[in-house]
Amino acid sequence: MDFAAFLLTQCVNALSQAALLFFLGVGLTLIFGIMRIVNFAHGSLYMLGAFVGYTLVRLTGNFWIALLIAPVLVGAFGGVFEYAILRRLYRRDGSAFLMVTFGLALMLGDGIRLLWGSEALQVPLPDVFSGVVFLLDEPFPSYRLFLAAAGVIVAVTIWQFLERTRLGLLIRATSQNAEMVHALGVDVRLVRSAVFGIGCALAAVGGVLAAPLVTASLGMAATVIIDAFVIVIIGGMGSFLGSLIGALLVAFVQVFGNYYFPDLALAFMYLIMLLVLVVRPGGLLGKEA
Amino acid sequence: MTTASGATISGFSRRTLLGSALVAPAMIRSAHAANPIKIGAPMALTGPLGSVGQQLKRGCELWAKTQNAKGGLLGRQIELLIEDTAGNPATCVRKAQEMVERDGCRLLTGITLSSEALAVVPKLAEWDTIFVSSDNGDGRLTAESLVPNFFRANISGPMGTRAVSLFLRESKLQKFFAIGMDYAWGHNSVEVFEGEVKRAKKEYAGAVFSPTGTKDFSTYITKIRQSGADAVFIVMQGDDNNAFLSQSRQYRLPDKVQLLTEIVDLASIRAVGDAALGLIGSSRYSYTYNHKLNNEFVAMWQKEYGNFPDTFEGEQWQALEVLGAGIRKAGSIDAAPLRAALETVSVESVKGLVAIRKCDHQGVQTGFMVKVVKREGATLPVPEVIATYPGERTTPPCNKMTYDD
Amino acid sequence: MRPFLAMAAILALMPFGLPPYAMTLLTEALILGLTAMSLDLMVGYTRLISFGHAASYGLGAYTSGWLLLHTDFPVLFVVPLAALFAGVVAIGVAWVCTLATGVSFSMLTLAFAQLLYAVAFKWTSVTGGSDGLAGIPRRAGPFGMTILSTKSGFYYFVLACLLGAFLFCRSLVNSPFGAVLRGIRENEAKTLSLGYNIRAYKIAVVALSYGLGGLAGALYAPFAGFANTELLFWLFSGQVLIMVIVGGSGTLVGPVLGAAFFMLAEHWLSSYTEAWALFFGLIFIGFVLFAPEGIFGVFSTRLIRRARPVG
Repeated sequence: MDFAAFLLTQCVNALSQAALLFFLGVGLTLIFGIMRIVNFAHGSLYMLGAFVGYTLVRLTGNFWIALLIAPVLVGAFGGVFEYAILRRLYRRDGSAFLMVTFGLALMLGDGIRLLWGSEALQVPLPDVFSGVVFLLDEPFPSYRLFLAAAGVIVAVTIWQFLERTRLGLLIRATSQNAEMVHALGVDVRLVRSAVFGIGCALAAVGGVLAAPLVTASLGMAATVIIDAFVIVIIGGMGSFLGSLIGALLVAFVQVFGNYYFPDLALAFMYLIMLLVLVVRPGGLLGKEA
Repeated sequence: MTTASGATISGFSRRTLLGSALVAPAMIRSAHAANPIKIGAPMALTGPLGSVGQQLKRGCELWAKTQNAKGGLLGRQIELLIEDTAGNPATCVRKAQEMVERDGCRLLTGITLSSEALAVVPKLAEWDTIFVSSDNGDGRLTAESLVPNFFRANISGPMGTRAVSLFLRESKLQKFFAIGMDYAWGHNSVEVFEGEVKRAKKEYAGAVFSPTGTKDFSTYITKIRQSGADAVFIVMQGDDNNAFLSQSRQYRLPDKVQLLTEIVDLASIRAVGDAALGLIGSSRYSYTYNHKLNNEFVAMWQKEYGNFPDTFEGEQWQALEVLGAGIRKAGSIDAAPLRAALETVSVESVKGLVAIRKCDHQGVQTGFMVKVVKREGATLPVPEVIATYPGERTTPPCNKMTYDD
Repeated sequence: MRPFLAMAAILALMPFGLPPYAMTLLTEALILGLTAMSLDLMVGYTRLISFGHAASYGLGAYTSGWLLLHTDFPVLFVVPLAALFAGVVAIGVAWVCTLATGVSFSMLTLAFAQLLYAVAFKWTSVTGGSDGLAGIPRRAGPFGMTILSTKSGFYYFVLACLLGAFLFCRSLVNSPFGAVLRGIRENEAKTLSLGYNIRAYKIAVVALSYGLGGLAGALYAPFAGFANTELLFWLFSGQVLIMVIVGGSGTLVGPVLGAAFFMLAEHWLSSYTEAWALFFGLIFIGFVLFAPEGIFGVFSTRLIRRARPVG
């Protein structure tokens, strides 16, 4: 394989990985930005998305239906959880959220095991993307190209949503000054529920999209939760653009780092995070220092 | 039944009947009073290797059930103590300790992770307890970390690797690369493999290790392709294995490079489906072994659970057969006589003959190579036996993890 | 002082009443209790939420394990030595982490713990890699004193460390130093404006906290006989944090109760059902909703109510 082909394939790989990481991170950063919640259950919601997606694919035989509906279901679950439980805790300090989301993560993990069993489950690739394309004569799964494209599309969609829609405006305003928004007569509680639901739905999108690559398995939550936090911290908690940059940075460093320095693979993410935080304690685009 | 005058029916007088009625409860009581043989199994039933622990649990349960139906061991019923460790060595030691100290358990099996086994093994002497491994493959357990009360009835990592390397000697494959999970087992097996390839006078192109929890194998697949190898030896299990196999197929790697693996199991075939086709590897147990005892076992398993027994279910069964044979031979479950009996026990089981050898307590047994193929009428690919090697060739020299020939 | 003496007396009498397996559980609960209490200095008194406390525990465990395996030092010397080492390393860690505040601080503590995990995982020649260190002896001495090698002897050693650490922490938080910590917790800006070198105080409390966490880890290695990478993993850090919160942060005693509760609840639930994690999670959510003051809060409000009858 010549260097050009190598570079091209690895860059597209990194973009596809960045997309998956972005789906994870953007939900987490929105949730933190608006609600100051450190959501330990975020990885479990991603995992729930993968398993719900598995069942929907089995039932309908159609990956796209699963991709559409699973996030809605998981987002609804998130919204209900926020309404029933999180809503009572806003006046309390952060440790309440830590413990509640930790409890949720435990319950989701075991709940999924009870409903779907202990074994990993196969989610087949959607037919239209189950083949390979040739990038400079190197076979490359078309699904990964789709992932990279999906990442771009979702990023643009969320950006436009935040900039142009009323709810998006309310979300941005609430993250900066919740009291003012409340004083203007807006029901901030609805904004919070919406944000938590959207955050969970985005995590679920990540789960469904990742499932054909890694299977729907009980170990998923634990392997992605740290990734999610690292991306968000690097980018700056609460910053949408930050989560995008964080995802790209981590993905590229991991893909090329694992190739050239495989011994450090375990440590890359933390080294980047350390470097960024030492130089800019709030994250690259963060507000708090 | 008696007639009005007290005459006997079918040889029993009323007195005899009354007499036996008095004695019977005492007899029943004494049969139950023969206290059960407790076998402790602190296994990972939840957590990342939960599916393996669940297999071990089923293996234990069916074995205990069939043994008890036949009258148990030494006339005593078998009682299983199964608890969840979630794959955490600290929890495993805690549970095992409680089983020994509170429940009076003197026999252990079913410990799932090698790290759990390594934590428990130094305590076996203090607990005066025998541990027969059904799943732990770490070579060290019969080498540096060997303790007198440890016995390994299953195939170890080096033995699995050896079966693969014996196979490759006979094959046309010339150049080999290796990928392993970046921890003790991965490194150990790849090291053994490297030595084997070189001894077979074939070309070793290098190795790469991926951390546990790797989700994206694209870089590793690129490395394998770039090495120019015509086969790659895979030392992976669980989620990492499934992700690697799925992604390899997506990159069409198997079209150019033969995938060889240290463990082929049904659970991963179920998880990746057709991505496992063409995989050649060592098998620790397969329902497709054609052996009389295995066929009986498979039929019994299907009747009880409705599916084919998987790798660790068969291994657990064999391990308990070994333990049972040792107990019968010793006539006791006390550590000292049992240890002596186990050191030279041999028993015919689902994989054929398995004989424990005294020097390092490893069960010497046939090595199997399987190939995952499509079979008529089966929805999932099936591991078919393609080669077998006698135990003497696949088991390493005593207390060692590498081979001399 | 009286409740403390009462508790100490009860704990001291345990070996005479409890069977051996219960003693093993209790010893481990006390070690975890010490870990949680050490974290409380940071979390409860200074509002420095650490996601990386496993680093102190693991560092203490590996250090004491390595020393016991490779030198002739007795357990009595090794344990405090390992704790000291953990505290000293923590000064450097704290220096970097306190460059940030809030969640960034927490993530930096996590980063250090994970880097330590990676080092322990890869440095096989010293740490045993993924297999860890096994067969760690509870070496007797000095002067041939074997009491610490026995089960009850070691229990008293652990108890002494816990009680000693508690007295130390209590006097620390009641001292002027502790007042500054509370100032940092309540209003960092104001404390800074009063002229205190906040950063220095933070570094000091982190070092002390990690030192005591290291003490707990150093006790664990000879207790369990092994040290492995799980002790350094972020999951354990999260669990210790939960122990502090469920026990009642900022009380020193609460976290000890929280640790015992966490360990025993997990142990007993998992004996009854495979779905123990489901109930475990439910318990924590229940605590947040119905007993926000934590276990200690529940006890103290009830005790106070009983002590002061209405009317």
